[in-house]
Amino acid sequence: MNQKTLVKSDTSTKSKGGKTKAEFKRLKKWEGELNKCIRCGYCYELCPIFKSFNWESDTPRGKLLLLYGIITGEVKPSNDIAEKIFRCFYCENCTDNCSAGVPITEILTDARKDFVDAGFYADGTTAEIEEDLCSACGMCVSVCKEEALSFVEDENGNKKVALDKVKCKGCGLCIATCPSGAISQKQGFGVTPSELESQITRFLKVNDTKIIVFSCNWSTFSGLQLSESPTLINTPYGVIVTMCVGRVTPELVIHALKEGAWGVMVSGCPPEECEHDGNYKARRKILLLKNLLKQFNIEPKRIRMGWFSRGESARLKQAITGFVDDIERLGPIRDLSVISYW
Amino acid sequence: MKINVEKLKKIVGENNVSDNVVDLYVYSSDASVHQAMPSVVVKPRTIEDVQKIMGYANNDKIPVVPRGAGSGTSGHSVPIDGGIVMDMKGMNRIIEIRPEDMLCKVEPGVVDDDLNRTLKPYGLFYPPAPASSRIATIGGEIGANASGVRSVKYGATRDYVLGMKVVLANGDLVNLGSNTRVHSSGYQLERLIVGSEGTLGIVVEATMKISPLPKFRCLAVANFKELEDAGNAISDIIASGCQPSLLELMDGIGIVAVNKALDLGLKEVGAIILFEADGNVKEAVDYEIRKIEEICEKHNGTDIEMSYDAKERQRLFGGRKKLFASLSKYKEGIICTDLADDMGVPNSKIAETAKKIHEIAKKHNVIMAVYGHCGSGVIHTKIMLDSKKQSQWDEAARVIEELYDYVHSVGGVTSAEHGIGLSKAPAWKKARKDIIPMMRAIKKALDPNNILNPHKIMDAPDDWVKATNLRYRVIS
Repeated sequence: MNQKTLVKSDTSTKSKGGKTKAEFKRLKKWEGELNKCIRCGYCYELCPIFKSFNWESDTPRGKLLLLYGIITGEVKPSNDIAEKIFRCFYCENCTDNCSAGVPITEILTDARKDFVDAGFYADGTTAEIEEDLCSACGMCVSVCKEEALSFVEDENGNKKVALDKVKCKGCGLCIATCPSGAISQKQGFGVTPSELESQITRFLKVNDTKIIVFSCNWSTFSGLQLSESPTLINTPYGVIVTMCVGRVTPELVIHALKEGAWGVMVSGCPPEECEHDGNYKARRKILLLKNLLKQFNIEPKRIRMGWFSRGESARLKQAITGFVDDIERLGPIRDLSVISYW
Repeated sequence: MKINVEKLKKIVGENNVSDNVVDLYVYSSDASVHQAMPSVVVKPRTIEDVQKIMGYANNDKIPVVPRGAGSGTSGHSVPIDGGIVMDMKGMNRIIEIRPEDMLCKVEPGVVDDDLNRTLKPYGLFYPPAPASSRIATIGGEIGANASGVRSVKYGATRDYVLGMKVVLANGDLVNLGSNTRVHSSGYQLERLIVGSEGTLGIVVEATMKISPLPKFRCLAVANFKELEDAGNAISDIIASGCQPSLLELMDGIGIVAVNKALDLGLKEVGAIILFEADGNVKEAVDYEIRKIEEICEKHNGTDIEMSYDAKERQRLFGGRKKLFASLSKYKEGIICTDLADDMGVPNSKIAETAKKIHEIAKKHNVIMAVYGHCGSGVIHTKIMLDSKKQSQWDEAARVIEELYDYVHSVGGVTSAEHGIGLSKAPAWKKARKDIIPMMRAIKKALDPNNILNPHKIMDAPDDWVKATNLRYRVIS
């Protein structure tokens, strides 16, 4: 038997800017840390990207292996690899679960910078601005806590909004905020507004679900996954991960009610703990919605908001159980026609 | 080797096949030191998919390597001959749970912890529990005959397999074993598949025995100044007829590593023993714990701490659970490699083996931690070395040879729960020359074209260092 030689990548290695020789200087300083990865796989247990695709190349350990391959010259950098690297919501579940202590997301951020510098391009989980639709109102700039969005001037001196793809962590608040629908994520990983809507519909149709729970990926969802069976057991509620809870719009809640949900629970990080300040934004929207529902004779208590820290999944589960009891006492919404035109 | 990717796409769908180098590269390694590229990766969704893929591969004589979580430590899922890597993670349905028959039926991609989360509301559990249970798949556990921290009382995967559906090399589907707790109806072929590392067939459904969750679990920890004392205490606990549900050893190197990685603040002594008793009667659990405690004290065990509380037990066990990964933190510039990682020795040889491991490591200028499920004779080690230096790899090879010669001389086994794969094959072959012809005959009868995970176990290369590329960059 011959010793196998690793095949080097020749596909899509030419970057968009025409540069073919990337230096990847930032990445090289991480060689020692990359070497420490023992491929145990604990990093992908709670990775939302891996759960969306189920490919090894979407696991944090797979990405680290690719980056190690770039450093050692085993693989050539390519747009395909860049795409994998830009797929990350920075929930940090991987880093938190790596007991070899590899700072995974820090490495990914440096890799992103190197890929951008070398002229490679990827959609990843980052936002995308459609310039024709953008009125440069700046609402997105004000909500982005990562400072990934900023005003710049185009060649004619006109103000426009620019996105820094390295800084964008894909929380999606800008998408939920943009009044002209100019911002989107090309690949939504199940968390764009339309994908969330279809998830809600599927939950309510397929299972005997009465309640929809929107859960923030950064705070409690990881713990919740570890306390529940992924299959077989039908619960009266369905948990939908929204990334930042600031993504939960009144339209989404109304959609759930229209599709047959008896109640909706929105769970986000406690005040001061949200990395994106999405919790405050969600609270404002949900309060307004509750007031509106009152006008239409729909009990506002059908919508509940709760704050739960990382590691408080047991408390969240308890809160869900209490909410389910309350909603079951209320029964279905008596007259849905009042919101049917919303 | 020419592989018809389009044909594979027709079988499993466009999105479940990849020959993109990005995917091939990440499927080239597992948790072992080995690395070799496949030609294509496929993700079957159904038994029929697996049958069709095997039919095609057998016809065209293409190697097929089944893969679960890719957490194997000996290179079982590294495609040494290229070909198809079959990622089984997508077949992850828990088909049924039958509490009345105390069994469950699962697809091979079901993750161990997911199965246990599902069984918990029924008051049941699936006991083998390898340390990697949070990602390890049932199919992979069957392939390696995995076991774990509770093997001292509950045994290994082989003790839980009642039956299985297996796709053979030619694509035929066979039903092995039964739905009954025991059977005496012909060859125990389901047991033949256990530990076969994907070389005899592809498990597509498994019927597993399940157990009632005990009402009480009490975990305790004891410190020992000397590693030898801890080893002798373990041998004594087992020989005295105690029935711990967990009996683990962790040496001083391990303690320092988890303190560095996880900031646990454990007392840095020669070794610690973790022991647990479980049962439905608290007094009985108390009795076991007291008995083990007495034996520990007899062997100079101190600072004994215990708890029935689940959170507290998790805290006490936290360091051991993450030890493997933490070892890379032991010293700057060294990394933890999965070599000589899971030998098994007779109960009376625990202390002697632990001492011997440290002696051999010192002699060859490498660092080796000693830990493991020593209550069932499983001794884990890891060789910690500077992976950039060729000289360190050469030393590692000498360490392995010397260590396995010793283990075999005291009646131990090369691998207790991780399997042989590539890296342990030379030592295993040296010790088990007698059974190699029989194993080759079985392999030939079931896989005449040698396409199922070829060149593993008895057919693996004689030099593990040169068997494949190492997944580390060696500079000098």
